[in-house]
Amino acid sequence: MATLATPVRKRGHEDRPAEGQAPAVRAFHATPFTYGTLMIVAAVLTTPLVFVGSIALSSDATVNNGAFTIIPREFNWDNFSRVFSTELPVGTFLLNSVLISLFSVAGQVLSSGLVGYAFARLRAPGKNTMFLIVIATMMIPTQITMIPQFILFRDLGWVNTFLPLIVPNFFSNAFNVFLVRQFVSRLPSELDEAAMMDGLGFFGIYRRIMFPMLRPVLIAIGIFTLTHTWGDFMGPLIYLNDESKMPLALGVQYITATSQAGQAPPWNLVMVGSILLALPMIIVYYLGQKYLYEMDISGGSAGVK
Amino acid sequence: MATTTTPTPETPSAVARKPASPGKQRLSRRRRREALSFYLFISPWMIGFLVFLLGPMIASIYYSLTDWDSFNPPKWVGFDNYVKLLTDDPVFWKALWNTFYYAAISVPLGLVLGLWLANLLNKQVRARKLFRTLIYLPTLIPLVATAMIFRMVLAPNGPINDFLGLFGLSGPNWLLDGPWVKPALILMSAWGAGAATVLLLAAMKGIPRELYEAAEVDGASATRQFWSITLPHLTPIIFFNLIMGLINAFQIFSQLYILIPKGKNPAGYDAAQTMVPLLFDQAFSYYRMGYASAISWLLFLVILVFTVIAFRTTRRWVFYETEVK
Repeated sequence: MATLATPVRKRGHEDRPAEGQAPAVRAFHATPFTYGTLMIVAAVLTTPLVFVGSIALSSDATVNNGAFTIIPREFNWDNFSRVFSTELPVGTFLLNSVLISLFSVAGQVLSSGLVGYAFARLRAPGKNTMFLIVIATMMIPTQITMIPQFILFRDLGWVNTFLPLIVPNFFSNAFNVFLVRQFVSRLPSELDEAAMMDGLGFFGIYRRIMFPMLRPVLIAIGIFTLTHTWGDFMGPLIYLNDESKMPLALGVQYITATSQAGQAPPWNLVMVGSILLALPMIIVYYLGQKYLYEMDISGGSAGVK
Repeated sequence: MATTTTPTPETPSAVARKPASPGKQRLSRRRRREALSFYLFISPWMIGFLVFLLGPMIASIYYSLTDWDSFNPPKWVGFDNYVKLLTDDPVFWKALWNTFYYAAISVPLGLVLGLWLANLLNKQVRARKLFRTLIYLPTLIPLVATAMIFRMVLAPNGPINDFLGLFGLSGPNWLLDGPWVKPALILMSAWGAGAATVLLLAAMKGIPRELYEAAEVDGASATRQFWSITLPHLTPIIFFNLIMGLINAFQIFSQLYILIPKGKNPAGYDAAQTMVPLLFDQAFSYYRMGYASAISWLLFLVILVFTVIAFRTTRRWVFYETEVK
C-alpha cells in the first residue's frame, strides 16, 4: 500500500499553472485530436447508459419485439411507478437493500473505529503482532471462508435471514481498521493526553474526543461499506431464497431468471430496477467525494510521513 | 506491506512522550489498565477474526481433505480432492485457463486504456471535469446493473452489433457463441477503465512540472516526454492497480452468473466457466463441500503465486522516487 503513497501524497502541492495560461510544455498541449478522441471515448462510454434509459422508458410491446433504440423514442414514465406496484416486488427489494446496508454500515463504523483507535493509541503486549495479523488477513480471498461460514450460519438457523449479511460487519474489517489506525496516528496526541489528565477513561476519550475527530475516515468507511453491501450479489445469492427477503441487486437478477420459458423478461422494468440500483451509488459518491479524496491521501501516505 | 513496518516505530516514541510516572507500582497498574482496555477495544476484531476467519480457514482445510455433502458425516479422503482436480477434472483446467485468459487480457487492457485516457485528460483541455465525470461514471454502477446493461448492449440486435453492421459486419451472438463469451466479458471490464484513469490522473498531477520544462528545453516531443517522465513516475500506482486488478479478475463471478445464465445457456456457461463460478456450483448446486473447498485453496494459491511474482519483479520496472533521494 505504500506503493500508492508516493504519487498521491503530492496532490497537495500540485504545481500546475492556472487554467487558460498558454501551455509551454508539449506534453500538456491539447490538440484538436485530443478533443476528438475524448469526445469519441465519452460518447462510447455513455452510450450504454443512454441505451438503458431508452429501454427503461419503452413500452411492453417494444420489449416483446425486442425493437429497442439507443435514443429513446417512447417515454413510458409510468414504468418507474409500475415497478413499485404489485406486479414486481421492487419496493420490497429496495427496502431490503436499505435495511441490510444501513445495519452493515453501522456495524463497520462502530467496530472499525474502536478497533482502529485501540491499535493506534493504546499500548499492550502483543499489539504489533496482532496488527501484522490484521494486515495479513487482507490477503485471504473471501472464497476460502465462504463454505465454512455458510455451514456455520446454516447451523445457527440464519439461512434466509439478513443476519449472515449483517452480523459479520459488527466485527470490523481489516482494511477499515487499517484506515482508522493510519488516520488516528496522524492526529496530535495532546488532546487525548489532556483528557486523560482530566481523568477520562479510555472509552470516554474515544467517545467524547476521538469519535468526533474520526468523522472523515468513518464517513469514508461508511461509503465503502455501503457500496459494497448495496452491490453485493454473491452473499444474498447464497443466503436468501425467499423473493420477499431479497435485496435489489439479487432481485433484479431474479426477475430476469424467473421469466417464463420462451418469454422475454420484462426488460423495461429490469432496466428501471438497474437504474434504481445504480442511482443511489452515484449520488452517494458525489456527496461523499471529498471524504473519499481525503482518505486517498491519508490512507495512502500516513505510513510514509 | 512496507506500511506495516514503517508506522510501528511510532509506538516507542509515543511512550517516550508520555510524562514519566513517579512510582513504578502506579505505572504498571496504569499500564495494566491500558492493556486491558486495548484487549477490550479490539475484541470485535479478535472475535471476528477467530469466528469468521481463522476458524473457517482451519475448517476449510479439513473439508478439502474430505468427501462431504454437508448433511451426512464427512468422509476422510486425504488429498484425493486435490489429486482429482489437478489430474482428472477437465472442467477445472478449463476454468483455470479461462480465468487466466480473462485476467491476462482484461487487467492490462484496463490499465492501458486508463493510462491513455488519463494522459489525454492531463493535457490542458477545456471541460476536463465533464470528461472525467463521464469516464468515471461507469465505475460507480454496481456490478449487477452493469451486467444487466451489457446483456442488452451485447444482445444479437444490440448497439454493438448494430455498430458492426454499419461496416457490413454481422456481429456474433456474444453471449451464446462459446468463443465470443470471453471477449464479451473483457469488453465489459473495459467499460470500467475509468477507475484507473482517475487514480492515474491524480498521480500525474503530482509529477513536478520542472521535469517537463527541462525536457522541453532539450527539445523532447510530447510522446518522448510521456515515455521518459510521465510513465516512470506512474509505475508505483500502475503496479498497485495491477495487483489489485489481478486479484479481482481471478475472483470474477457475478458478471458471468448474470450475463450467461446457466439454465438458459449451458453452452455459453461452459465456454466461459471460471474458478469462482465453478466453486460456487460445486458447493451450492451439487453440495460437494470438500471438493469446493479444495478449489478455493487452489484459487488462493494461484492468487498468491501471481502476487509474489508481481512483487518479485517490481525492482526491474517500478520506479520509487524516494529511493533516489
